[in-house]
Amino acid sequence: MRFVRFFLALSLTVGLVWLLQAPLRFGSVSLPVLGDFFNPFTGFWQNAEPTTGFSAQNLQLPGLKGRVEVVYDDLLVPHIFAENTEDALRVQGFVTARHRLWQMDIATRKASGRLSEVLGERTLEMDRLARRRGMVFAAENALRGWGKSPEDMRLLDAYCAGVNAYVAQLKPADYPLEFKLLGYKPEPWSPLRTALLVEAMAETLCSGENDLPATNALYFFGRDTFDYLYPAWNPKQRPIVPDTGQWAGVRPVVKPEMAKYGGIETDRPSPGRSVQGEPLDYILGSNNWAVDGSKTASGHPILCNDPHLTLTLPSIWFQLQIHTPEMNCYGVSLQGMPGIIIGFNENTAWGVTNVGHDVSDWYRIQWTDAARTRYRLDGEERKADIRIEEIKVKGKETLLDTVRYTVWGPVTHDFDPEHPLRDCALRWATHDQPSPDELKALLLLDSGKSYSDYRTALRGYECPAQNFVFATRTGEIAITVQGRLPVRAREQGRFVLDGSKQASAWGGFIPMDQVPALRNPARGFVFSANQHSTPPTYPYYYLSFEFDASRGRRIYDRLSALKDATRDSMKTIQLDNFSQRAADALPVMLRLLDRSRLDAEGQKMAEELAVWNFRYDANSTAAPLYTIWFDSCYLRTWDEMTALRDKGTSVMAPERWRFIELLETDTASIFFDCLDTPRRESAADVVNETFAKMQRYFRENPNERVPWGKFRPFAVRHIAQIDAFSRLDLEMGGHGSAPNAISRSNGPSWRMIVELGEEMEAIGVYPGGQSGNPGSSYYDNMVDAWAAGKYYDLLFLKKPDAAPAERVLARQQFLPK
Amino acid sequence: MRNTLFVVVFVFAAGQICHVGLPWWGVVVPIGAVAGWLFPLQPWRSWLAGFLGGFLLWAAYALILDISNDGILSARIGKLFMGLPRWGVLALTGLLGGLLAGFGSLTGNLARAAFQKK
Repeated sequence: MRFVRFFLALSLTVGLVWLLQAPLRFGSVSLPVLGDFFNPFTGFWQNAEPTTGFSAQNLQLPGLKGRVEVVYDDLLVPHIFAENTEDALRVQGFVTARHRLWQMDIATRKASGRLSEVLGERTLEMDRLARRRGMVFAAENALRGWGKSPEDMRLLDAYCAGVNAYVAQLKPADYPLEFKLLGYKPEPWSPLRTALLVEAMAETLCSGENDLPATNALYFFGRDTFDYLYPAWNPKQRPIVPDTGQWAGVRPVVKPEMAKYGGIETDRPSPGRSVQGEPLDYILGSNNWAVDGSKTASGHPILCNDPHLTLTLPSIWFQLQIHTPEMNCYGVSLQGMPGIIIGFNENTAWGVTNVGHDVSDWYRIQWTDAARTRYRLDGEERKADIRIEEIKVKGKETLLDTVRYTVWGPVTHDFDPEHPLRDCALRWATHDQPSPDELKALLLLDSGKSYSDYRTALRGYECPAQNFVFATRTGEIAITVQGRLPVRAREQGRFVLDGSKQASAWGGFIPMDQVPALRNPARGFVFSANQHSTPPTYPYYYLSFEFDASRGRRIYDRLSALKDATRDSMKTIQLDNFSQRAADALPVMLRLLDRSRLDAEGQKMAEELAVWNFRYDANSTAAPLYTIWFDSCYLRTWDEMTALRDKGTSVMAPERWRFIELLETDTASIFFDCLDTPRRESAADVVNETFAKMQRYFRENPNERVPWGKFRPFAVRHIAQIDAFSRLDLEMGGHGSAPNAISRSNGPSWRMIVELGEEMEAIGVYPGGQSGNPGSSYYDNMVDAWAAGKYYDLLFLKKPDAAPAERVLARQQFLPK
Repeated sequence: MRNTLFVVVFVFAAGQICHVGLPWWGVVVPIGAVAGWLFPLQPWRSWLAGFLGGFLLWAAYALILDISNDGILSARIGKLFMGLPRWGVLALTGLLGGLLAGFGSLTGNLARAAFQKK
């Protein structure tokens, strides 16, 4: 009996322990070991950081050559003072990992298709696509390129060693919260992981293309209609670099046979399902500009940048200052990459927006055997390289996936027999081996003193292509469309290309001294907002997934009118909710609206729209009316494309600016006719019908009749979509077509304004915090300021002890071991 | 009564040390068992004393961490666990520590009864 009671108690204890380490699921999060997670000695409680002070002990760091001092300011921004660049980057690696280790890990796992290893089967398709798009292949090639410059590789190695020094001293109790939550361990960092982050950025910024929908559209509509629907050039556009005669005499080398295959693509649309969803207004929407002294109150240049991305917590950017005898630079970095991407130093400032040229094309492969291991190229047979991808899946068997690589690149979709691109290879500039100078390009920019330093630094910068705006303390301003941009025959790559002929290949890349660039224009400003790089007179052909003209026109107008600018007046441009697109469209729509047929409620709505100032302010009640009306008008007009998509053929709807142009100039166009009615509609019919629809929508959903900030959902989400770690409580103004291009989850990921006077005076803010730890008060401490349109004074130090005491949170020393 | 107090104090005090390198249950369960063996009590009393010691051990430490953190993390973890309030997260922490030490203590108590020659 005594033994029975003992064994009963023992079984209960063992049972309890077993129960508490059973995997539990909460929404999208599975908790592996509840007991471990709640154990205050090792679990999540250990991530509850004290809100007062910040503990940063002095440390010995292997590999350091000298002493490094880090001053943490009151925003938890580390200011690194080192005796040489290598030491500075080693400590950058350490402090970045200290705050953002899990984010670094999950980003590289996503890029390399290794999410399922820790998250299980639900991310398998994502992993598979990442592998099949050649992300790891690209990162390996990047390492090959960088490896040709051993001196710069040593700097990257130092950065990685800094990260690893941090990882090595971690006890399980110290692991970042998400590792504990998702139940896995940090891994050592490596140069390959840094390369993967570059590829992840490229995937976000330069993987967009419309090859298949354009090919289908050309086939179904014919050449004339295609040109009518999809003109490449918006005449109202304000390009980044105007034609001032600088391209006279530049003739791109386009081989004649290239032109032959580059132009008209006769490829028939391939059967299969539609791979394109509803047309989304998702443009990310970055802006940057610099004005010279003629435009400012102080007579000094001012440079501004707000790169827009999908906003996340932990934040995309990490602020820091790097001070060495060679450079003194402040700005934002990407975790996992050495150096500073956007910022300023004692002499210059710079910022980026995405160029958005299409650098990714599909080539149709002619297989010569049923197993698809050989393909035709210029009449000869070639063997595809086979790469076996081993995708580990938590709790399941490892998936072995065969990917075929052709001369063009990987055949991405051939595992899916329904996919219309299943026999196409992906040619993507990101796959190419980069220049050995790429690694040091940003470091050269960080330490640059003059315009010529800036251009020299940029020559090594390749991918993803960026519009680099630039200003110097000596009063110069400039912008350069910088990147590895393919030389194309006219329209080459607009449609799916013939992969059986070498002549379909790009003609190399635009020489770095012929990329569009502008320096000290008489108008006193340079700017970019993801619009066309140049007018059509630029000798090189290029195309984009979608250039945006609306923000660029607004910013051009604001900067043209600007006088006696200050940092405060620059804020009003970054925070400008004025939509040029709405200002173009709404008057036309109201003109076509027959107000005499409206009831009292409709009259009131029309009146509200008529007096709207085209600003997507959070308190605007007209903005939701316009948005619903415009969107349904747009979709109703392009019902032809929706019908094709429903039948399984991807065809894109024309760009919004073209739609507005047609509303204005071609109201009888056949495209305004609706397929599902017997009569023939005009633009006015569509406008009136969709107004009634809009009115009905708000009548049926009275709780939707709220100001824009409540109407349009907005969130800054945790990377793993964990609501408890996200900010879902923000009501924001802004719209993709306004300079303050905030949409559902996208927006300005960093707002920076730098005045280049005697001393650099800079302000900045991003929607997050320096710490990646949801248990830190610095996790989201800048979100509310960002949402309110406020900025912080950035603390730019010349010496470690120059910091005012009230702004110093902690000091930390790193010593050689 | 004295032994009850001993179990509570033993679990609470011994639980503060030696957490390095052990699995999450590796501290609180064995310490509960040792306490249950060392201080003979009626089994239900032994369980209760172990529970109290374990509850105090986990909840008190969590409370200290929570206060210095201004409850930032416990609020977020609470949202993650079906909207538990801050005190709920603390109570759940204590409950888990208590259950583990309580059953450890009960097992130790009954083991002594089973294996020790009278």
